[in-house]
Order: sequence, then C-alpha cells, then structure tokens
Amino acid sequence: MKVLIIDPDEARAALVAEGLVDVRPLEVRRVASFEDVEATLATIAPDVIVIACDSPDRDVLESLRDSTEANPRPVVMFVDRSSPGLAEAAVEAGVAAYVVDGLSSGRVRSVLEVAMSRFELMQKLRTDLAKAKADLASRKAIERAKGLLMKERGIDEEQAYAILRKLAMDAGRSIGAVANDLLTFAGVLKGGTK
Amino acid sequence: MNVRSEFRLGFIALNDCAPLVIAKEKGFFEDQGLTVDLSREASWANIRDKVAMGALDGAHMLGPLPIAVNLGVSGEPTPMIAPMSLNLNGSAITVSAALADAMRTADPKGMAARPRSASPLAKVVAERREAGLPPLVFAVVFPFSVHNYQVRYWMAAAGIDPDRDVRITAVPPARMNARLAAGDIDGFCVGAPWNAQAVADGVGEIMIYASEFWRVGPDKVFGVTERWAEQHPDPLQALLRALIQAAAWCDEPGNRGELAAILAHARYIDAPQETVAHSLVGSPPYARGEPGPDSLDYIIYHRYAASFPWRSHAVWFLTQMLRWGQIGPEVDIAAAAERAYRPDLFRIAAADLGAPTPIVDEKVEGLHSAPWMLDEASAPIPMAPDTFFDGRTFDAAQPQRYAADFQIGRFGR
Repeated sequence: MKVLIIDPDEARAALVAEGLVDVRPLEVRRVASFEDVEATLATIAPDVIVIACDSPDRDVLESLRDSTEANPRPVVMFVDRSSPGLAEAAVEAGVAAYVVDGLSSGRVRSVLEVAMSRFELMQKLRTDLAKAKADLASRKAIERAKGLLMKERGIDEEQAYAILRKLAMDAGRSIGAVANDLLTFAGVLKGGTK
Repeated sequence: MNVRSEFRLGFIALNDCAPLVIAKEKGFFEDQGLTVDLSREASWANIRDKVAMGALDGAHMLGPLPIAVNLGVSGEPTPMIAPMSLNLNGSAITVSAALADAMRTADPKGMAARPRSASPLAKVVAERREAGLPPLVFAVVFPFSVHNYQVRYWMAAAGIDPDRDVRITAVPPARMNARLAAGDIDGFCVGAPWNAQAVADGVGEIMIYASEFWRVGPDKVFGVTERWAEQHPDPLQALLRALIQAAAWCDEPGNRGELAAILAHARYIDAPQETVAHSLVGSPPYARGEPGPDSLDYIIYHRYAASFPWRSHAVWFLTQMLRWGQIGPEVDIAAAAERAYRPDLFRIAAADLGAPTPIVDEKVEGLHSAPWMLDEASAPIPMAPDTFFDGRTFDAAQPQRYAADFQIGRFGR
C-alpha cells in the first residue's frame, strides 16, 4: 500500500505507519504541504491520501479530483478534536473518509481500507452513469439515423435498421458510431456544417 | 420548539467575511439575542463538510458552492441554501511581474487599456506555444467559485481556451503570493486582500478588478443547510437581521477604515492593516505607482441591493458551470437556482428591519451603463451600472442560449 500523508504533524504520520505495520509492501510518505509533491504526484501514485481536516490543501485536492488529467485518489481526513461530533456525524452521513484525531493505531488499517473500497464504489457508480448517458445518446443517434434512411429511401424501420447493422458489421464498429457518421455526413450534404 | 441561541458560524480569511465579523464585533448578533462563535476555517471543502454535518450552523460560502452541493458535484449531496448575499465584487486577476512585462512587450497598446482585456495575454500564450514553452499556470481557490469563472471568461473573451492553452490549478488564498513570487504560478484570481498584497510586495500586477469585469458581480453568500433552516426558522431570521445590519455598517464610507483595522486582526484575516485597507477605502493600486480609482465599489456589501440573493446570480453561476463542463445539459437550471437561492427568506428579515427590498427575484444584467433606480422594490432602490467588460447582457430566462453563445466553451455549438 502506498500512502501519502499531507500534514505538518509528524506524530500523526507515525500513528498511521504504526497502524499499517503488518501491510506488505508498504510505503508511507509524509509531506508538510501539497506543494512539496505537486510536481511529482503522478510518479508517487499513492493508493490513498491522508490529510488533516484543517489543511488548506483540501481545496487543492478537490480541484485535482475535478480535473480530468489527474488520477483521482481516495482521501482520508483527520478531524480536529475541536470539532465535537464531526467524526460521528461523518460516519452517519456515510463519509467513511473522516478519522478522529487521536484514533488508536489499531483502527488505522480498517479505516484506510474502508475509504479505498468506498472510493472504488463511487468511481464505479460514476463510470456506470457516464456509460448509461453514452448508451442513451447512442440510442438516440440510431433512432434518428433510421428515420433519415426511412425518409430518404422510402423503406420501413426494419429495413433501415438492417442497413445500419450491415454498415456496422462491414466497418467493424458499433451501430451507434455508424449512425452518428451517417447523421454527420447527411448534415454536410445538406450544408448544415460549414 | 427550538430555544437555542448559541451558534457557530464558519468563515475564510478574506475581506468579504466582513458582515459576519462586524455582526459579532459591533454587537448586531447580540442585539438579536444571539451568541455567535466565529470559527476560521482552512478551506472551502472544510466549510462545506462542516455545515453539511452540523459541526457549523452556517458559514461564509462561495456563491456557487450551495448550488454545486445540491447537484451532487461537490462533496456529499446535502440540500443547502443561500438566504443572503454577503458582497458584490472584491476579487481581481493578478499576474506575476515577469508575465506583466512580457505582456507589455507583446502588446503595449492593449496593456494601456482599461478595463484590460486578455489580448496581451493571448499574444504571450501564442509566442510561448511557438517557442515550445510549457503553458502558463493560473490559480483559483476552488473549482466552484466566481474566481474560476471570471478568469476563464476573461481569457476566453480574448481567444484563450482556459482548458487547452493554459493550466488552471487551485492554491489556498493565503499562499497565492508566495507561489507567485516563487514562479510556481504565473497568475491568479482571488478575493481581497490578496491582490493588493501582491502589488504591495512587488510580485504581481493587477490586470482587471472584478468590479471592472462585471460592475456588480456576485461573489460570497451566507449559507446553511435546508434542514437547519427548517428546524431553526426564528434563529435564521435573527441571524439574517444581524447580518443585514452589519453589511449596511460595512458600506458606510466612514466605517471602512475601522473595518480594515478589525479585519486585519490575527483572529480574522491576519494580514497587514494597510493591505486590507487598500481594497476597502478605495481600489488597490494596479501596480506600484499606478493607483486605482477612488471608488468604494471595489467591494460592495450592502448598497445597490447587494445583500439580496438574486436568483439571476445563481442562474449565471449555473451557466458558467454548464459552459465549462462542471454540470451536464440535463440539469434543470431554473429548479437548481430556486432551490439554492432563497430571496423569500431574505425578504422577511428585510421587512422586519423596514429595509427596502426587491419584489422580483431576477434582473437582466448588463443593460445599465449608468446609475439607475430599481422600482420593482418595496421602495425604490438606487442601483449601480451593471455592465460586463465585453458588453454582453445576461437574461436568466435564457440560460442555455447564453451558455452556448460563447466562442470558447464545452457546451453547445
């Protein structure tokens, strides 16, 4: 497991390392601020990032998660004791990624593992959603391409679909992609695209 | 049912947290029977999560933040509302001294113009591309912020694609200047007082103020969860009354100097008083030896119906989220704006204070190049010019059309 800890507090880093002592292979790296690893984050490729809840670098990590180029990572946070109830509320709200400051080293491993698996689940949900949206777009394109063929060639829906399927098989591509091409070319022929 | 009178509100160290600080320091909370503890937070993500989980009752927030949280694109989805705006304007786009020099060499005429377009920057970007140099890096504080949208809009208006021609990253506000000085970033867009600090330190020059970009552009809001508002209707109204009175205090010209002294304190912004004052008693210098205009509109807390949470501001944020691909075309923009921005709650508090309030929820932006009167209000309200630097107008009734109308963007066309 590769763990990156962003926290000026060495003691907390030591706690994490202690809690993970049985994990092999293990690589724990601590930096005081995100700037110290910004340029090299891709080469470190941590499996999980641990950050103090009160670190200003949290906003930097959030923006990384939003940008497409950076590889997203699960993030676990230490909560300051001065925020009573926050960790409990976090667990209740389903944010497994909050850890109470001063937590026993024995729980570190399970908390990191929960955060990682929850992160994977969220990533999968996002990918599924993106795929569902793409499928919907593809179905719409097929419908429109069928309609175009039916109108231009005076054929019925079944025949139009058969033409698209044959085009797709001949080209070794998906029916959705072929339908999109057809619509694009039809647009060009009609002068719809400059 | 609820008799609590002690509350904890979060803020980030910026000049626009002033209404919260003044409501506490000048006794406006106390006058409403409230005991408020202000908690300085280190990041917007922390503010968001603590409010969502109830560790804070409410907070100083970026205007787009409650909208993004409701839509599930920032953090765990928790319904949040903005029943009040905390300020208009206050931020600026600053570039490093070296980049400003390069821009002057590339386009001296463009660098003499105000408001300054990004055309000189576009020339430097093109030169660097031809020379095979890496793209320039600009920093904002958070993806869902007016600053991110301002810097992108400003660049794109001059033909720079902010996703392809430069790199946009995030840096915490208080660290912007150290990173600019170190050459890690070439420019930034952030709220006061950090642009004035860059000029004072000689590490940067201000290219354009938010008040030049859009003369009355939205920025921060006061935010709570929808649930908290439902469970604490009376305390919420008391908080809003105190904050409205505090915002009015902040905008009295004679109070701006004292406001700077209070905000500069280590408990709040923790920066030199002179730097904080630069963005309050007038506009900060654009560069050393180049003073800014003597106007209090660099940041506006209360005048021109500034505290009113205009739905059209929420819709404008949503158009920019759409434009830059932060949300998809499936989002119901009108519904998202209605859920997050709550002028209905604001009106109750303003009526209790006898303060004039708009009776409409939206206004068309960019139509007025001179001061005007808002007659659609409980009593006429003097308003400021509301133009954008590029002369566009924005009608909240047509958000998709507006978002798709830009040459550079990830939506439409």
